[in-house]
Amino acid sequence: MNPFRAAIAVARKDLVSEWRTREMVPALAQFVVLALLIGNFGFQIDSRNAPSIAPGILWLALVFAGLIAFGRTFAAEREQSSLEAMLMTPASPVAIFAGKAIAASVLLILCEVVLLPALSLFFGTPFSGDLVIAVLLATIGMASLGCLFAAIVARVRARELLLPLLTLPLWIPFIVAGGQAVQSAMGLPGSYDQAIGLLIDFDILFVVLTSLAARFVLDE
Amino acid sequence: MSMVVANGLTHRFGPELALDSVDLVLDTGEHMAVLGDNGAGKTTLLRVLATALRPTSGRLEIAGLDAFRERRRLRHYIGYVAHNPGLYPALSAAENLEFFCDLQDASRSRVAEVLETLGLTSVAHRRGNLLSRGMQQRLAIARAILHEPRLLIFDEPDASLDAEAAEVLGLVMKGRTAVIATHDHALANRLCPRTLVLRHGRSLGTATHLRVVR
Amino acid sequence: MNRLEKASVGAVALMLLAGAAIFFYAPTDFLQGPVQRIFYLHVSSAIAAYGCFAVVLLGGAIFLRTENYAADRWARAGALVGVVFTTVTLVMGMLWAKKVWGAFWVWDARLTSTLVLWIIYAGYLLVRRLSEPGRQAARLAAVVGIFGFVDVPVVHFSVTWWVTHHPGPVIINDALPAQMLATFLFTMFCTIVLAAVMITIRYRIETLMDMKQLIAGPVHVVITREPGGVAGPVQ
Repeated sequence: MNPFRAAIAVARKDLVSEWRTREMVPALAQFVVLALLIGNFGFQIDSRNAPSIAPGILWLALVFAGLIAFGRTFAAEREQSSLEAMLMTPASPVAIFAGKAIAASVLLILCEVVLLPALSLFFGTPFSGDLVIAVLLATIGMASLGCLFAAIVARVRARELLLPLLTLPLWIPFIVAGGQAVQSAMGLPGSYDQAIGLLIDFDILFVVLTSLAARFVLDE
Repeated sequence: MSMVVANGLTHRFGPELALDSVDLVLDTGEHMAVLGDNGAGKTTLLRVLATALRPTSGRLEIAGLDAFRERRRLRHYIGYVAHNPGLYPALSAAENLEFFCDLQDASRSRVAEVLETLGLTSVAHRRGNLLSRGMQQRLAIARAILHEPRLLIFDEPDASLDAEAAEVLGLVMKGRTAVIATHDHALANRLCPRTLVLRHGRSLGTATHLRVVR
Repeated sequence: MNRLEKASVGAVALMLLAGAAIFFYAPTDFLQGPVQRIFYLHVSSAIAAYGCFAVVLLGGAIFLRTENYAADRWARAGALVGVVFTTVTLVMGMLWAKKVWGAFWVWDARLTSTLVLWIIYAGYLLVRRLSEPGRQAARLAAVVGIFGFVDVPVVHFSVTWWVTHHPGPVIINDALPAQMLATFLFTMFCTIVLAAVMITIRYRIETLMDMKQLIAGPVHVVITREPGGVAGPVQ
């Protein structure tokens, strides 16, 4: 049984479904636009303080968009019976989980592709490869945690309340390290390399842990 | 050899007893129908037999393997159509099947064969949400036989199937061991020589050619 | 009195002794004054809370491995008692912070990770309360407990790392004079004993609650099947 074939199949299926139904895209687009609007009208932004404020707006938008993107991967009612059908195949639960996490990450990355240049455009903060790398690294870890907890709360009542409650404490290390990396990339003092090193460590730790936990959460 | 040996299957949902110490034995190639009112425990029993649900207590052996320890291996043997088939509305019939081929690690050529068997070739490229209920049910059955399983477990397959229901089911069930949950006594008698009756989670016993007098 | 009741009385007596030590034996701190006495119970509670969550971690891990429901009940007990002690730690911490720094809250490593600890285990309790009791709920909660336990040091580390780059109010840790150290160790011991007794009591309660669920159903008769022919209930 080839786990990669299964994971890619699941990721492709989710992305094709999303492309054809476009259910999540409007919600995610809303957050991107809102973040930019709030950033502009909620703060007094000028060229000096823009690099201090822009990272905060970026992370706010990513956290909320992430909660939606990852939350929906396991949420739909019909998704539950579809999930059971997938689990009834010989495909391993880890492969299925990985496929879903990949698909959700792609959606979040699409948001980032819009948000990062937009921040640069509207707030005048520098846009660099460093910035992109920092955000991508954080996305990986946040995706694996977000999807795992989405799978957990899918079986529980009050999931809209529980998902942020459980996921945000686990995202804090990514926000702290990622926040520092983004600030450094935007020109504020601080060590970019150390922050990236931390992000990589956290990614490895949590991707491994979530992969190990996936089969307890998905399978009966 | 017996295909399915179940002993004392019991399942609770919280304090509620859904299955109450159910025993059954199914020989290879046998077809059995499970009858019972709504809430009698048919779906729970079928889910346990399909290894989709682990019962609170009891023993289950399928094809000589312990169902709880060898679940991954048993997936190859079992084809299960749940009460709610869980197909993807945004994907076409063929795409749904191709996806499951990828998960089963089966060859994609099976898709065309299976569509043919279930009479779905004409709607192969129609999206799931545009298929009639009857066709969706056929598609669910198609998905269940993609990997040529030896044991079929169908939860009320006739509920939305059109008039040729019995024919299609009979065709699919030929040569395989099968368990079907249904409300339709006539269908059960036609397809399955043996019937198990459930009431309130308890098995009232099995019989051949059961006649239910109300 | 049964053993557990005796243990409870003993634990309470120990805590009273610790209280006496805190107020009469330990010297008053030179810099902070009497308010510093909060330290003994505040830190002891924090340590007891971590201990409780270690119980949650172990119970959950053992349950995932062996499906032993007793392990799950210990985990449940540990989570509840742990949240209680974490709440005590947070409240005492805030009172102390207000007196010493003038603010109820500071985003330093310790306060932040204690808050995170509280949120995670409150989430654990909610997951249990809001799901159908049974095997799957126990498994999901075990995963939450494991991640929670791993996350707290990670958060602590991240925030410490952040703070070295962004200096803020710093907690000065002087070496403790001998009398204070002795008081602290004694208080810590008493608090841990109290936590252990509370967890054991809660474990008993959880066991009784589980048993109650099983007794709730009616007594039933096993029916065996007959091959061929018309079958009927056989007693």
